[in-house]
Amino acid sequence: MLSRVADSLYWMNRYLERAEHIARLIAVKLETTVEQSREDAEAAWARVVAALSAEHHMTESADAMSVTHRLAFDWHNDSSMLASLGFARDNARQVRDQLTIEVWENLNRLFLKLRPLADDKSWLRNPPRLFRETLQALHALEGVTNSTLSHGEGWYFLELGRHIERAQLVCRLLDVHFGTARSAIAAEPTYFDWLVLLKSCSAFEPYCTVYTATIRPEKIAEFLLFDREFPHSVRYSVDRIGDALARVAPGAPPTRRAAVERLAGRLKATADFTQIDELMSGSIARFLAGIAAQCEQIHEAVYAAYITYGAETVL
Amino acid sequence: MSSAVKLTRVDPAEPGHTPYTNYRLGAAYDEMFASAGAVRMHYAGLAQSLADLPGDELVRRQQACETSFLHQGITFTVYSDKQATERIIPTDLLPRIVTAGEWDRIEAGLKQRIRALNHFLHDIYTDGRVLKDGLIPRSMIYGSKHYRREMRGLPVPHDAYVNVCGTDLVRREDGAFVVLEDNLRVPSGVSYMLANRDVVRRAFPDLFRAQAVRPIDHYPRELLATLKALTPVRDDVSIAVLTPGVFNSAYFEHAFLARQMGVELVEGRDLLVNDNVVYARTTSGLKRIDVIYRRIDDDFIDPLIFRDDSALGVSGLFNAYRAGNVVIANALDTGVADDKAVYAYVPRLIRYYLSEEPILENVETFLCREPKSLGHVLANLDKVVVKAVGESGGYGMLVGPHASKAEREAFAEKLKADPENYIAQPTIQLSTAPTVADGGIEPRHVDLRPFILHGEQTVIVPGALTRVALKRGSLVVNSSQGGGSKDTWVLSN
Repeated sequence: MLSRVADSLYWMNRYLERAEHIARLIAVKLETTVEQSREDAEAAWARVVAALSAEHHMTESADAMSVTHRLAFDWHNDSSMLASLGFARDNARQVRDQLTIEVWENLNRLFLKLRPLADDKSWLRNPPRLFRETLQALHALEGVTNSTLSHGEGWYFLELGRHIERAQLVCRLLDVHFGTARSAIAAEPTYFDWLVLLKSCSAFEPYCTVYTATIRPEKIAEFLLFDREFPHSVRYSVDRIGDALARVAPGAPPTRRAAVERLAGRLKATADFTQIDELMSGSIARFLAGIAAQCEQIHEAVYAAYITYGAETVL
Repeated sequence: MSSAVKLTRVDPAEPGHTPYTNYRLGAAYDEMFASAGAVRMHYAGLAQSLADLPGDELVRRQQACETSFLHQGITFTVYSDKQATERIIPTDLLPRIVTAGEWDRIEAGLKQRIRALNHFLHDIYTDGRVLKDGLIPRSMIYGSKHYRREMRGLPVPHDAYVNVCGTDLVRREDGAFVVLEDNLRVPSGVSYMLANRDVVRRAFPDLFRAQAVRPIDHYPRELLATLKALTPVRDDVSIAVLTPGVFNSAYFEHAFLARQMGVELVEGRDLLVNDNVVYARTTSGLKRIDVIYRRIDDDFIDPLIFRDDSALGVSGLFNAYRAGNVVIANALDTGVADDKAVYAYVPRLIRYYLSEEPILENVETFLCREPKSLGHVLANLDKVVVKAVGESGGYGMLVGPHASKAEREAFAEKLKADPENYIAQPTIQLSTAPTVADGGIEPRHVDLRPFILHGEQTVIVPGALTRVALKRGSLVVNSSQGGGSKDTWVLSN
């Protein structure tokens, strides 16, 4: 596979994962905000903003809808949902010949539907529905990707992009509730906020089947970090990253593969051999930062080994 | 030819409710109507289908067709005010129909023409027999900015310099198809030929079946076979389509052809040359490339040899080509033969190389380098179209009837200063074909661009891109100036 193609596929899914994460955080927030007191609702918005590292986009007077607009539809904010979708589409367009017509059309149609919302306010008519529909469309796109594309090297680059991004986003979200970013928010999380956290990872029902409806923060952390089977847990993503790295660049010489595989092995060991009890006694912030940093190192190693390597090193 | 066409009479059942209310026949040949109300035989099926459609159904289908193009991303990007907007090239729903007899003649004429043009290219890059014999002035060839000294004496596979050609034909007032332009460099539009077929077949499924339209879907397969036959490599031939990238207006087509052929789509930055061998950078290491179907102009293909400000090309590609380690299609020198001055000589070239009479005529052309012609052109500037010989895409031209007096006078000075650089042609009334306009059907001017594949064999898929000038009365079919396109149906009997 062309290195440039691998690069585009990888980023296409990183951006799609980012767009999906933003859509879900906002959808869950909009659906639950009506049941909260004003103070709690403000703290909850602050958590959403912090989870998306978007504090600098916020102003004192911002109301819920203008915050939503900034996070979702601000075309000039490179980390908005719409901009992420735009970048995903730009990348898909670069590798249009590698995607099936179904994948491209699903992505293109969603983008063309949402793009006008940067400039018109029609989405205000029913925001929760719009974000639900966007999530559904993104899920459909993922399904179509899995069921129409061959699961060859390109598909594994998509997987790699999705799960490197997802692991980092979930780590950041957990940090807002358990780690260093928590102190920046005035109010302590309530029972209600823990529910929101689970729903923000599509995790409420899967959590209940494992731990019942007993909501305990350390159980939530354990589930979102270490569950083997739940697709939005950090450990699940770590396993998928490992699978993907075993399958990409099949013809690359062992010396180039070694650097990547060593990092993947270390990340897997970190996820496999850490206990939630140790983390809850104070080290969780460092742990989350460590996982995110290891994902970043894997990203760099993949680029050095397979994408941006110098031609002189292989001739 | 038109006298052989049988007519069926369609009388609008209810005057005032016919979609043809605004169908005014002009001086041009009309593809559908021989005269007011008299439909040509091969359009009778379409006429009936349209008559059977409920009132707003035509418009509804036209919109469905446009939405389909937008979703598929068959768009080009227009840059203005920092905002990049994507537009579709409008496809008109009504097919343009070509009879089997007309097609046979076109096909034979195009095959003859591409053979002669390839002979000509081979000749001027080797012995120059045609120049020694004085058929064509030396200065016209050696002075052309598209003549590449670097190519002299370089063998090309099967002596086929032009492997993909998109020739523009127009139909004159008398009904004869004549050649307007040979596009021998990087002709585009074939993806529209195929995409148009897809949507129009869906819009008129019954008519399509009933008409016995010849299929065109095998074009990518034929293109692949043509490219494969250009290299002596037999096992595991590695072919790539070289595109300028996603910002090129034909990018959709490049990606489409790569996908349909199952070959790699590469950009200049994916390729590198080492020891005169071309490689693509892949995740697993470097992969050798044997054949490049290039969709980049000569000038940009290798910054070491041609334009050194090109970021699109590949350094060292030309040396790899000269060393015979990679095939580039079309070859890097074909522009000299679609020069508008050479065009005027093509009928003579056909007689010279093939000892045959040209099957397809040229549009009457005045070479301004000949004093008699220059005098005629200057005296008739308000009636002719003047074109600069080395340009394409509508640049450097004067459309006499539409120009102001001042524009004509200014152009006359340019002409007198550098007559060798110009040719002139009478304004031709391109034929008109029924086209959806304002909810009804009106005649619009069209041309015809079939695609010719030439290598070991010469293959023409029975179809073409029909470009249509969507503005009433306009003769300009270019997509950049309000042109659209139509599906082209070649009938099998």
